[in-house]
Amino acid sequence: MIQVFRIAQREYMENVKTKGFWIGIIIFPILIWMMIELPKFLEEQGIPTRHLIIVDRSDGSGDIARQRITLLNRQKILAGLQKHMADATKSQREEKMDEIDLDPDQLLDQLEEGLERLGNPDLEIQPFQPDQLVKIGDLLPEQMLLDDTQWRNLKKLLLSQLPEDTPEFIEPPLRFQEVLLPDGYSLSNSDEEIEDLMRPYLRSEKNLKFGEEEVELFALLIIPEDVLKTNTRVRFWSPNLADNDLIDGILDSLSEEARQLEYNRRGIESKDVAEVASMKVRSVKFNPNKREGDEKVGIRDKIRQYAPIGFVYMLWVAIFTIAQMLLNNTIEEKSNRLIEVLLSSVTTTELLLGKVFGVAAVGVTMQCAWIGSLIAILRYKAGPSATWIADLIAAVITPELLGGFVFYFIAGYFFYAFLFAGIGSICNTIKEAQNFMSPLMLLMMVPLGTMTFIPNDPNGAIATALSWIPPWTPFVMMNRMAASPPVSEIYGTAALLLISVLVVFWLSAKIFRIGVLRTGQPPKLMELFRWLRGTHS
Amino acid sequence: MSIPPIELINVTKTYGEFKAVDDISFTVPEGTICGFLGPNGAGKTTSIRMMLDILRPSSGSISILGAPRALDVRRRIGYLPEEKGLYKKMTATAMIAYFATLKGVPAREAKTTAGQLLEKYGLGSFQNHKCEALSKGMGQKVQVLASIAHDPDLVILDEPFSGLDPVNQGVMEEVIRDIRTRGKTILFSTHVMSHAERICERVVIMAAGRLIFDGTVEEAQSLLPRRVRVRGEGAASTLEQMHEVLSSSPSTDGREGVVELRLREGADPQKLLKNAFEKKIALEIFEVVDPNLHEVFVHLVGEDAREAAFR
Repeated sequence: MIQVFRIAQREYMENVKTKGFWIGIIIFPILIWMMIELPKFLEEQGIPTRHLIIVDRSDGSGDIARQRITLLNRQKILAGLQKHMADATKSQREEKMDEIDLDPDQLLDQLEEGLERLGNPDLEIQPFQPDQLVKIGDLLPEQMLLDDTQWRNLKKLLLSQLPEDTPEFIEPPLRFQEVLLPDGYSLSNSDEEIEDLMRPYLRSEKNLKFGEEEVELFALLIIPEDVLKTNTRVRFWSPNLADNDLIDGILDSLSEEARQLEYNRRGIESKDVAEVASMKVRSVKFNPNKREGDEKVGIRDKIRQYAPIGFVYMLWVAIFTIAQMLLNNTIEEKSNRLIEVLLSSVTTTELLLGKVFGVAAVGVTMQCAWIGSLIAILRYKAGPSATWIADLIAAVITPELLGGFVFYFIAGYFFYAFLFAGIGSICNTIKEAQNFMSPLMLLMMVPLGTMTFIPNDPNGAIATALSWIPPWTPFVMMNRMAASPPVSEIYGTAALLLISVLVVFWLSAKIFRIGVLRTGQPPKLMELFRWLRGTHS
Repeated sequence: MSIPPIELINVTKTYGEFKAVDDISFTVPEGTICGFLGPNGAGKTTSIRMMLDILRPSSGSISILGAPRALDVRRRIGYLPEEKGLYKKMTATAMIAYFATLKGVPAREAKTTAGQLLEKYGLGSFQNHKCEALSKGMGQKVQVLASIAHDPDLVILDEPFSGLDPVNQGVMEEVIRDIRTRGKTILFSTHVMSHAERICERVVIMAAGRLIFDGTVEEAQSLLPRRVRVRGEGAASTLEQMHEVLSSSPSTDGREGVVELRLREGADPQKLLKNAFEKKIALEIFEVVDPNLHEVFVHLVGEDAREAAFR
């Protein structure tokens, strides 16, 4: 046994000393950090204001489009304001660990009351809870944003609710800004003339003048006459067809207006329509697996439902990175014939076990480093007692999930490690190994493919069937863990998995014993079969 | 008498129809340097692997240091395989120490020994170099040192000289002699007969899976007739008439007028000298030439040896 330990120790030390190992350790937190920081960074950098020209040949439809642009602009400011409020109330919210149920209607009533009393020193404004401040932005009706006075007051009201030491809120730049046609052109020119003229501007070959500045043209919008009544189309020119917010929003507004006209023509009160349209059936979700009286599904439960996907992915990545490591260094030892010296000192089984354990230790180190850095980053980013990280950790650290992860990591790793070591032992080069690897890779892709749909029906027929196939058991069962699969299935599949680990160990030890000393071509399948039957040596 | 470190009795190894090793038996006495000779494909490496219990013989029995399986006494065996490799990323010291620890030497002691060995055989300044930075010859020395760092009682070296320049071949001979001086037993395989001739006490020769010779170097040499080189007026014509002489031919050593006489097995060259003296032949040259191991080898393995001999 001491030999197994020595081999494992060397295997561990040698892998830990490689650059690849450290790159792997460091790159993960960097990626996570970037995932957190990059959107924020881009947001802060901000997409610069985009400039557009509206050629309006209709009767008032251009104003509808302009209103939409105002809405888009104010939504962006509102998003900035929400973030500002979230930052300003962070410490207050952290103190309150309980989740507050926010009643949207009541919150809006309170807001309207606040707006009415604003500016009147005799009437007291009912203060908002920090949580309410963060969430209220999502509830505001468009009408409130479009009304200039209400909008101004709204900002004032919300900002007045923030703690005194809050820094000043700086409005982000506008999202869209209308500019005029260049000098000498007007609506008297035909669409074709205007389009020909604007082409070089749209291609960024020329810049437009906007006040003192030179600006790039983002889009040209031509609204034809009678756009709301006939089937004519709005012509939208832009070099950037990926950003559809502008045109989609404008078309929405125009369609809405067209519908209004049509309601009127048919004698339907548009107010009625709006009221009817605002009707919504809502739901409250319950989970029968939870304790009685506690069945209501909260955020924590949602995280819990999706946490297994994260675990499955981590399991998959961990198992295959380290099993690959094992494959590579088995081939290295084999191709430089070190294996012979090793085998004069240890038995093949000791060698196989030593390597598998050593590499497992490398993997565990890597996992711990990853999880540790993840928690460190989340804590650092979210402050020492952030509620959501508490939620996340509480959701993830349950005996089923954590225990499942540890068990399936170990069992899954040994299953694939023995398989890979066996393959490594019959190949002299990585290239040869690839021939054996490709069918195995296909086998391994299956759990990744099923990863996202299993949570939708975690105890369904497909999920159950896949659970009983040992190469997939770790991933599929991990995936189902949050949905409390039947106990008989948990233990049954686990037993089958453990038996298969032993079988794979026995088979690969047999192949390993013969394979490691073999030189030249890797064996044919038939030959492998003979080895397994023991008719060789 | 002590137990021989290596004893093979009727050992056979077959792969399907092919007999890689065919019924060989020999022993290597304690404290000797034994050369293991034979052309390519003779079954040397297979035999060595069986001695080390890396392969199991199909039939026959092997006893290594008195044990039926080498793994039972693996801590007392050192082994250098034919194809040499190192862990590229390990330092020379770490590499030697690692193999020593696998043989049961405590880690700290293994490290000290590794440093001492590197120092002793001229690699002191390379102790902390990674193996990938070493030249081929240095790497090979490191490997040999790795196989003996645990001070084994039996050392088995497969082709220790291959790929080494003459200076390093000399160092390798020194390493082997040093091991012997400490009373250990060495078996090494080689194609280069001069090494075997210089340092071996015994040789075992294999060809086509079979054992064709097992004995001391002198015994091997006695397998071929001795030769006498003579020069002098009438010397060759007189002496080649004698019963002891098998044949004669001009010597190939390049000297003018020298004739080489091949003697019958067991014939005493002194008889020729006596005869020449009695016949009053004025001998300018009279040299007794013992057959070298190379000639014995070629004689024993015949055409098979061609490839091996010129390697």
